Amino acid sequence: MIIFRLPDLGEGLSEAEIVRWHVKVGDSVSVDQPMVSVETAKAVVEVPSPVSGIIRTLHGAAGDRIETGAPLIEFAGAEPGSAAEENADRGSVVGLMPSGADEFAGIVGGTRNAPASAQRIQAVPAARALARSLGVDLGALSGTGRGGLITLEDVIAAGLPAAESETPPGSTMRPASTATDNGAVQPLRSLRRAMAQSMAMARDSVMECTVLDDADLHQWHSGIDYTVRVLRAIAKAKCVEPGLNAWYDATSHSRRVFDNVDVGLAVDTPDGLLVPVIRDVGRHSSEQLRAELDRLKGAAVNRTVKSDELRGFTFMLSNFGMMAGRYATPVVVPPAVAILGTGRARSDVVAIDGRVEIHQRMPLSLTFDHRVVTGGEAVRFLGAIIRDLELPQ
Amino acid sequence: MPKVTMVEAINLAHMWEMTQDPAVVVLGEDVGVNGGVFRATVGLQQRFGAARVQDAPLAEGLIAGAAIGMAAQGLKPVIEIQFMGFIYPALDQIANHMARLRNRTRGRLSCPVVLRVPHGGGIHAPEHHCESLEALLCHHPGLRVVCPSSPQRAYGLLLAAIRDPDPVMFLEPTRLYRYAKQELRDDGEALPLGQCFRLRDGDDVTLLSWGAMTVETLKAAEQLATEKINCDVLDVASLSPIDFESILDSVVKTGRLVIVHEAARHCGVGAEIAATVTEHALYDLLAPIRRVTGYDTIMPLYRLEHDYIPGVDRIVDTVRATMTD
Amino acid sequence: MNQRITLSESHIPYVQLLDPVGAVRGPLPEWAKDGSALLAMYRMMVRARVFDAKAVNLQRTGKLGTYPSCLGHEATHVAVGAAMRPEDVLFPVYREIGTQFWRGVTIKDVLLYWGGDERGTIYAQSPQDFPFCVPIGSQMPHAAGAALAFQIRGEKRCAVAYIGDGGTSQGAFYEALNLAGVRRLPLVTIIVNNGWAISAPVSAQTATQTLAQKGIAAGVPGLQVDGNDVLGVREVIGEALARARSGGGPTLVEALTYRLADHTTSDDASRYRSAAEVQAAQQLEPMIRTRCYLEACGLWSEQAEAELRRECSALVEEAVREYLTTPHQDAGAMFDFLYAQLPAHLRSQRDDARYYAAKH
Repeated sequence: MIIFRLPDLGEGLSEAEIVRWHVKVGDSVSVDQPMVSVETAKAVVEVPSPVSGIIRTLHGAAGDRIETGAPLIEFAGAEPGSAAEENADRGSVVGLMPSGADEFAGIVGGTRNAPASAQRIQAVPAARALARSLGVDLGALSGTGRGGLITLEDVIAAGLPAAESETPPGSTMRPASTATDNGAVQPLRSLRRAMAQSMAMARDSVMECTVLDDADLHQWHSGIDYTVRVLRAIAKAKCVEPGLNAWYDATSHSRRVFDNVDVGLAVDTPDGLLVPVIRDVGRHSSEQLRAELDRLKGAAVNRTVKSDELRGFTFMLSNFGMMAGRYATPVVVPPAVAILGTGRARSDVVAIDGRVEIHQRMPLSLTFDHRVVTGGEAVRFLGAIIRDLELPQ
Repeated sequence: MPKVTMVEAINLAHMWEMTQDPAVVVLGEDVGVNGGVFRATVGLQQRFGAARVQDAPLAEGLIAGAAIGMAAQGLKPVIEIQFMGFIYPALDQIANHMARLRNRTRGRLSCPVVLRVPHGGGIHAPEHHCESLEALLCHHPGLRVVCPSSPQRAYGLLLAAIRDPDPVMFLEPTRLYRYAKQELRDDGEALPLGQCFRLRDGDDVTLLSWGAMTVETLKAAEQLATEKINCDVLDVASLSPIDFESILDSVVKTGRLVIVHEAARHCGVGAEIAATVTEHALYDLLAPIRRVTGYDTIMPLYRLEHDYIPGVDRIVDTVRATMTD
Repeated sequence: MNQRITLSESHIPYVQLLDPVGAVRGPLPEWAKDGSALLAMYRMMVRARVFDAKAVNLQRTGKLGTYPSCLGHEATHVAVGAAMRPEDVLFPVYREIGTQFWRGVTIKDVLLYWGGDERGTIYAQSPQDFPFCVPIGSQMPHAAGAALAFQIRGEKRCAVAYIGDGGTSQGAFYEALNLAGVRRLPLVTIIVNNGWAISAPVSAQTATQTLAQKGIAAGVPGLQVDGNDVLGVREVIGEALARARSGGGPTLVEALTYRLADHTTSDDASRYRSAAEVQAAQQLEPMIRTRCYLEACGLWSEQAEAELRRECSALVEEAVREYLTTPHQDAGAMFDFLYAQLPAHLRSQRDDARYYAAKH
């Protein structure tokens, strides 16, 4: 049974009045045969049959008003396989005029407000955002900007200790002496301050989960470049589980999975943590990667890294184990969703086929953002890293 | 009180004002005998005669230009451009003359013209029939640009436009022409130009819209109310000059602003509102101002038009994002 | 002393080769003598008519958007198509499907366009032809520009532009004609004077006796032809194209016909014109006389007609089926072909459009 509904007969007409039926119940009609004359706000039009079939029901008599989209005619059956049959219902409301049941909103009161009795705290937007991430209560501050406006400096001052030579009132940290190297208060500047802020934001948003494992390097040929191998392994693992090479945006509930692997490498400098980015590691040779690593590390130490070389990594790597440390719970830095930490490689006692052997092993710690990466994805990624690292070369 | 559609309200406004004021004349394509392709001017030629309700030759530039000459002579032309997409040949006259006549004659000559034009898409029409070009018109100082969102407001604002001494571009949202009916008192009472209308009261976020998008905006507000987000919905209605006082009062109250328009994002009127609100109320804002707009593409043919025109869900998602900032 | 300039005497020739009942009214041109050319044109006229009726029905059953019927215009449209060479370029308004079908535009193309899908203008067979032009008159300068390109490159090609009686009131019409005149461009313009511009009769459009004489102001020769006479139109256009091709300059041809249907399916012509007028025009319509002539020549028959109609119906039904089963473009298609290359900042808008489209 096919229901044919009154179509939109032209540019937004919402209803029509039946003028005259040309057919009656029981008639057999063919496609395009005129069925009914209807009058719209604009014209009297003939509505032809969309299908061939037998009329089962006519909805309405001459003089009745039918809304666009309401049933007009029911057919008992259409020719099998006809396009009209497939589309008989779709050939109905093509015009998208909503029904006349909706009402228009009237004007609600005036538009000039009475002044608000509770004034909102006036703060520079950047100050509001920083206050939130540092956990500073704006209401407890008195702003030093014009008209009591809370500025960025006001929030920083409230969230962090005061300058070297001053003891902020009420501070519990009093310098034992004025010597600068004996526990004096140091406001965080530049890299350290940035790290404090970004780590706080990461803590507040990322759902961290860390998986630990080891890669057995005993098959390695001599003279292999550790970091380059790790970069290569990351690029390989990305092909297995691309979801760890991605950004996540909580506000839009969306993630961007990247084709290129741009690895942010944590570099330790006297001033603090710097994360230069090695671009597109999957497409470069080992030699090229080593050259780029050297260049970036050198630039990092000299503080000559350009700002666009510090942006936009899709995955992060921390070779923290150079000095000490086997496993860690490295921190995912949003919007990236994962970080790999490599601990200190050393000789371990391992059990192989019931025998004790000594193998060189590299500890691996993979932290992932469980809001957007599943455990399965993470361990498959880690497994792929291990498989690639364990290859002789 | 009778209930009328927007197009019927527009017709009633013509009838009223042409009865009161013999200077009001109508000029456009198919407006006389045919009563307009949307029937906005139906019955006018029968009532007021062919001298006052004229079918023009097929030439938009001519219609706009002739209106200027008539207006300078003391007539009050209410002209029709059949669809917004066809306004371009008239832009030379609108921009170079209508908008400037008062200014360049130091007030000696002026141009009390109303240019009515269907605005926006969503009615399954052919290409060029679905455009939203208010930003183009708003960018010309000397013009008023008005866009009603209901039969009552169409009636009241059209009367105000006809009575206004300056040239008014009256943008009629096509998909609201027959959308629904509203009670209307046909009493010749005008609504003020240059003023917003509050359509819903709320304290959490200000939603601004105009024209057909007020419908989706109000539906979004209803849905958001069930999530305990109460929207202050304003119909901007006059897009040039804009009633920023009302907008700023609302933003100071709520601290959050989302602007909804069908026209494309880039250089849309939403950008002007966002910039002005930022300038005057930055420190009251709790979140960035967001816009829900048509995409920066050519208006697609009708199979995709509802993917272009912002839907209720886009508005709801954007307000939610604004609330969690 | 008062002087005056005497213009050369202006005549607007009127050509009719086949009268309303199919009698030949002038010497038959060479190309028409064996009847096969005429037969080919008649077959295409029938195809246009059969398709046109179906398109109107599709709109009435909600499967097609607003559609402008070409009922009664088949002779002019098909004859122009037949006279043009493949390397000429067409600048239509939006009704001339007879010309477009001749030049390889498919029925499905036309349905897709009026069905709200941009892919309907891809025109694989005539890739340089312009698609429908909705802003009235604006196609004229395009045609003049193409003609200018042919002239600059020394190519023996013509630009062919259509315009309606209403369109001759637009500034762009005069501007383009003026350029064509002053530069002797290879531009042939066909004014399809079908009597009506929506509800405006030609008498409300202009004070001139003919529309062809508007060429005089541009220095472009003009003539009128019975637009329902496929022989006459084919001959007149053929001559105009030959002249233009050989450097003889532009021609303005006014084809007199009648818009037997409403302006579009959104219009109701009974509001502004009488049924009697339409009936009278129906007697002059092009199919009757062409068929009469062909039958008189022994080239056509009742049976041939029935067979042709069946063939055309089948062709149309197949195209309709294809159209109805063509899936909509993905919402991201709005961003395709916006520029030669999509600016990067628009990619996120495209993602947004797809995201929301997927929710519906």
